[in-house]
Amino acid sequence: MLQFLENIFGPSWIVSLIAFLISTTVILIVTPVTFMMMTWFERRIVARMQDRLGPNRVGPAGLLQAVADGVKMFTKENITPRAADKWVHLIAPLVATGPVIFLFAVIPWGYGLSPVDINVSVLFVIAVSSISAVGLMMGGWGSNNKFALLGAMRAVAQMVSYEIPAVIALLSMVLFTGTMNLNKYTELQGGLPILGNTLKDVIPDLGLGWFVFTPIGLVGFMIFFICILSEGERTPFDIPEADSEIVAGYMTEYSGMKFAVFYMGQFLFNYALSMVASIIFLGGWNFPGIPQLISIAPPIGALASAVVLGAKAWFLFFVMIWLRGAFPRLRMDQLMAFAWKFLLPLALINILSAALWLTIMLWCTGDCTQNPWVFTVGGINPLGWLGNSPVLRQLVGFVLTAIINAGAFFWLLNVNRRPAGETPADLARDQAFGTASLP
Amino acid sequence: MTVEFDRGKAYVVDRGQPKLRAGQGMIAGLDVVIRHFFSAFTKKLETPDETSGVFTVQYPEERLAMPEAFRNFPILLFDDTTGQELCTSCFQCERICPPQVIHMTQAVDPTTGKPVPAVAEFMIEYDACMSCGLCAEVCPFDAIKMDHDFELATDDRAGMTVRKADLDRPVSYYETIAPTRWAEVKDGAYKKLQGNIKRRSGSIGLSPRAATAPKKAAPAAAKPAAGVAKPVAVKTAMPMAAPGKNMSEEKLARLLSIRAANVAKAGGAAPAEAEEVLATADTDDVAEAPAAVAAARPVSSGGIPFSADNLLGGVPANTTMAEDKVERLKSIRSGNLARRG
Repeated sequence: MLQFLENIFGPSWIVSLIAFLISTTVILIVTPVTFMMMTWFERRIVARMQDRLGPNRVGPAGLLQAVADGVKMFTKENITPRAADKWVHLIAPLVATGPVIFLFAVIPWGYGLSPVDINVSVLFVIAVSSISAVGLMMGGWGSNNKFALLGAMRAVAQMVSYEIPAVIALLSMVLFTGTMNLNKYTELQGGLPILGNTLKDVIPDLGLGWFVFTPIGLVGFMIFFICILSEGERTPFDIPEADSEIVAGYMTEYSGMKFAVFYMGQFLFNYALSMVASIIFLGGWNFPGIPQLISIAPPIGALASAVVLGAKAWFLFFVMIWLRGAFPRLRMDQLMAFAWKFLLPLALINILSAALWLTIMLWCTGDCTQNPWVFTVGGINPLGWLGNSPVLRQLVGFVLTAIINAGAFFWLLNVNRRPAGETPADLARDQAFGTASLP
Repeated sequence: MTVEFDRGKAYVVDRGQPKLRAGQGMIAGLDVVIRHFFSAFTKKLETPDETSGVFTVQYPEERLAMPEAFRNFPILLFDDTTGQELCTSCFQCERICPPQVIHMTQAVDPTTGKPVPAVAEFMIEYDACMSCGLCAEVCPFDAIKMDHDFELATDDRAGMTVRKADLDRPVSYYETIAPTRWAEVKDGAYKKLQGNIKRRSGSIGLSPRAATAPKKAAPAAAKPAAGVAKPVAVKTAMPMAAPGKNMSEEKLARLLSIRAANVAKAGGAAPAEAEEVLATADTDDVAEAPAAVAAARPVSSGGIPFSADNLLGGVPANTTMAEDKVERLKSIRSGNLARRG
């Protein structure tokens, strides 16, 4: 193929250049359009949740509302405060949004639709996504506004705190699957719920072996999703731009397109992380029928897989809107306590569970002569009874990790409870002075 | 329940809910929100006491029925049949108007040079009117009323100073927008009008609108009502009036029932006509009904005989009435002179 293209277009670097230009163009078109659709979607959905209709005047069902907003944003005056650090103020939206667009370079949009296929795409996602915090801090600092600075400091504190449980949750999945390549995750999640691919000789591939159905994946998914909410500054973690307290946080001094770029970065960050969560935990583009479609007609299968993956990501975005419609904003100390006292220990225990599951799956049988997994008690292999059946091992692993994770969850809830002596007087004091604590 | 602790006491409200633990409260909140979300797709809020369903009224297409007491800007009323304005230029509204936007000139009898209970020119500056409704409240003749039309946005500021010709509305129009309120004051208003008309002469007190097209007042009010006969989108939100433009079916029905009651009270002055009015309503021909109502007015207005002939006391023309008045005036004056000796 490459040879054929070289014969037509010339040396291979030109072919590569053209290919990259095409995929870059596609990303740079698709992501802003996604952003526009997301703003429309959010406004319509949250309106229904509040018994309203939402924007429905511009275009059919208000679909062109985002275009009208864009026109408004473009025609607005671009204000820079006189005392602001002008260059920092100008560059901050780019620094906050650019890394988010980078994320889409490694995230596969569907079967065979990854712009760049690198082996460590999970690491890339984690590393690049944390750069946006720099942009937020630049915006808050460069605005020379106390609200902006407060918002930026809150944003950075929040993003740094919640990155740790998020990364550990992903780490447990990396340990679980043994790969950091986002393209590989989908293949690993075929088959049946819980049992995965272990019965693929008996039952056709239903594409339902999503990791979210396993205890490790479930806990990992919950932690990761909560961390997405926090990193994307969604309610109930929208403390950095708490409009009722500090105007709009780090975006206070931004107007026109600079504001829009910040806003776009935020929404696309949500979308990118929703896609990552869908790929890692919700089975990627796996769905009954999709694996067969891909094997029969790859182009149609690729298209269908993109639709399925998009639907999952949009569903996660819908859940974000749902949470926004339901919950009030957390307080700063509640936010920090939740991350450090609850999510982090739970994520660490989840890693333990993943390691246990891996041990059970890889434990040798028989006398274990060649296998490195040699651990005998008095000359007897303690797990030798597992035999060669992957189904049995999967089930045993499921039960053990489920017990560990559920126990850890309730234990942590209990540990984090109000200290002993929960009398009506304590309760009343908490209500009167607003010192109720989590959870 | 009152609970005391070291720094004071507080009241704890028992909401009768079992204790929610380990995130159950969050799930309860999500449940409420998602139920509202789904009901908003299938349901529309019908009455204000419901708690779910879309409450948005898509204003230009859908309109809420306005309450009768809704008030925007004042208008002047004139009688449909005679074209006589109810206003007597008593200056009460001008005096009470807080922003002082009402101005009027009293009509003067050209022959005697005496003021008569009618208004020569009336002017309201809508642009400064604050819609307080005090003028309508203070008016002893029920001549000034608050209109329901609120879509008056314009870029023509001078046009917001409205004169009598544009302020005048037929009584039948006010009856469409506020039937019960008019029914309360109608008898007194017509009685006073009757007294005032006797002291007016010539075209004094005749509405400029009625003078140009005296017979068209009622049909004009009736015509736009035909628009209502078109299917109405939502029960509670229906297309409503521009001035004199229409009336809802509900309101019309109420109006007719009031009229029927009045007719009955009047001892069946003309039961046949009353039945005719009701029959018109029964045919569901909403467009014709107000016209029929207007036509039936002399009968149904609570037994007060009210027509041009009755009001003018059988005198065929206005000019003769003026002469008559002059005669009377002369006799009174001569009597006074004689008394003074």
